[in-house]
Amino acid sequence: MKPRNLIICLLLAGVVGLSVNAQAQTRRFNAKPGLLKVRIEGTSNIHDWQVEGKIIGGFMEVGPNFPTKPGQEIKPGKVDAKVQAFVPVRSLISVEKDGKPYNTKMDDIMYDKFLAQQFPRLVYTLNELVLKEAPKAKDQPYVLDATGELAVAGVTNKLSMPVNVTPQADGMIKITGTAPLKMTDFKIEPPAPAIAGGLIKTGNDIKILFEWVVAEKK
Amino acid sequence: MNEKNTTEFNRRDFLRGGSMAAIMSMLGGVELFAQTNQAASAAAAAVQGPSLKMAVIGAGPWGRDVLNTLAKVPQAKVVAVCDNYAAMRTRGAKLAPGAAAVEDYKEILNNKEIAAVVICTATHQHKEIAIAAIKAGKHVYCEAPLAHTIEDAREIAKAAAAAQHLVFQGGFQMRSDPQRHFLLPFIRSGALGKNVMARAQWHKKQSWRFTSPTPEREKAINWRLDKDLSLGLAGEIGSHQIDQASWFLNGRPKAVTGFGNVLFWKDGREVADTIQAIIEFPGGVNMVYTATLANSFDAEYEMLYGSDAAVMMRESKAWMFKEVDSPLLGWEVYARKETFYKETGIFLTGGTKSTQSDVPATVEPFTNTPIWFALTNFVRSATGLAAAAEDFVSSFGDDDKDALMEHLSKVPRQPGATHLDSYIATVLAIKTNEAIKANKRIEIDPVLYELT
Repeated sequence: MKPRNLIICLLLAGVVGLSVNAQAQTRRFNAKPGLLKVRIEGTSNIHDWQVEGKIIGGFMEVGPNFPTKPGQEIKPGKVDAKVQAFVPVRSLISVEKDGKPYNTKMDDIMYDKFLAQQFPRLVYTLNELVLKEAPKAKDQPYVLDATGELAVAGVTNKLSMPVNVTPQADGMIKITGTAPLKMTDFKIEPPAPAIAGGLIKTGNDIKILFEWVVAEKK
Repeated sequence: MNEKNTTEFNRRDFLRGGSMAAIMSMLGGVELFAQTNQAASAAAAAVQGPSLKMAVIGAGPWGRDVLNTLAKVPQAKVVAVCDNYAAMRTRGAKLAPGAAAVEDYKEILNNKEIAAVVICTATHQHKEIAIAAIKAGKHVYCEAPLAHTIEDAREIAKAAAAAQHLVFQGGFQMRSDPQRHFLLPFIRSGALGKNVMARAQWHKKQSWRFTSPTPEREKAINWRLDKDLSLGLAGEIGSHQIDQASWFLNGRPKAVTGFGNVLFWKDGREVADTIQAIIEFPGGVNMVYTATLANSFDAEYEMLYGSDAAVMMRESKAWMFKEVDSPLLGWEVYARKETFYKETGIFLTGGTKSTQSDVPATVEPFTNTPIWFALTNFVRSATGLAAAAEDFVSSFGDDDKDALMEHLSKVPRQPGATHLDSYIATVLAIKTNEAIKANKRIEIDPVLYELT
């Protein structure tokens, strides 16, 4: 082999090697059923209300600078991560404060407001993830700023919120977060159920809370 | 077909509710009632979602009432009616347009299209069908009592307990009635003061005997009059009312004393047509229960007595009668009141507990009754599970069957008698009937209430 060809081959091999290496460093995690929780809290003129679900489907692909091990050293700055997560609307159920089912009529009103027939899922897509400060102790969660988009009832809005990322010793990663939302931002008129003669009026401000546990896809 | 009951078997009247409120209004009481049934009905009718393909097994008088009721339940789609007696099968199938008339219940269980069954056969036939249905992966609504022996009831309940990914609901339908759910925290919160006793009755003049063209069929259809197969009035009727007392008092009886005789219908039957029982709850609170097929005075109701007030429950209505020295709750000043002879009853209603007086004068048949609420909840629970399974698989795939089963076992069910509720109520009915047959007091071993 001529020296020139040898150089080309080595360069090509290097490029392929780098690519393989980059792929190897991207790790994919999938939602782990049984350990998931989403909760929406709201208000009304008679009492506060809440709905809960146990399904947050989706996946997360992360680069080497995403915390996947407890105590992993991560430098502040942009973190490589791609996330798509979703919640099936009908998996959300109104509950009492103690978690017992509240009222199927309220569930139906909620599904109707979410336009569940046309848009059966709430969908979240991450655009950017930034670590501002590394945790000061090994057992503390990594607090990152997540910027993404949330699609509800056919309307997509930008959503920025802090998320806590806690790598577990067993390899799973727990991600929790809370975000305030307004129903009208998603073109949802706050419900005033007809079954109560329209006397019950819900507030426009709601809060969404989630616990998302993911495990690496083997 | 010449099969009929000349005095009409009115277990149905008790279970589906009637017009006793009108009688109570004539007698006068503060009425306690839940969110108006009309509103509930309208909201339920608006439910969107897939229908539940189901079959009714047993198309006797009660099975046909169930079919009529299911016709008014949103999402319920009866695709098959099963009875091993041709005339009942035909009459039942007519109530569910398009439904297949099936002789053998195994054909129903083999049909993968059918997701749920309602078992309305004779009590002693429940076990075989219920367990086979659970094994076949069907959601099961099993009429009450679950069985005529504790062993059979336990087997059914254990099979249901092992299949938490399915819905199992016992036919103790008052456990699904929103009015009773409204009353439960009210009573358990001590609104009646110290509980001192409970009382319930079911009084009807009817024979319970059916006539039929053949002796074999006549024997089969009159299983309620067979002392080896029937729990008599204590099981067929009393099981519901005694269960209500257990539920509201939140206690498991420790002993029961019973009396029973054939006093009026002396047609050779050995199952008492008139019974009395005293059921002993923890803390010295006793329930007095009477039932008869010989006199209809004052029909049926349940009472709870406390040191501050008594509550009367008649079907989906309730009234509170306060003692003069009881503390003022406040809202009762404005509540609707009715006079019951020399007493004033405060109408107890869910939602507002106040001046609500928009009780519908007429109610559409087969809706807003305890059985309607129970079947509606059963159907909703089953469709909820189907949706949950679909959502799970579309979110995570179907590789992890254990995770799917675990997820389904945690999907909330609508209010209804669980396998354990139903088992305990059945044990209580069996022991009450045992005491009645022996005309004596028997203690109930607490172990009997446990499934293990």
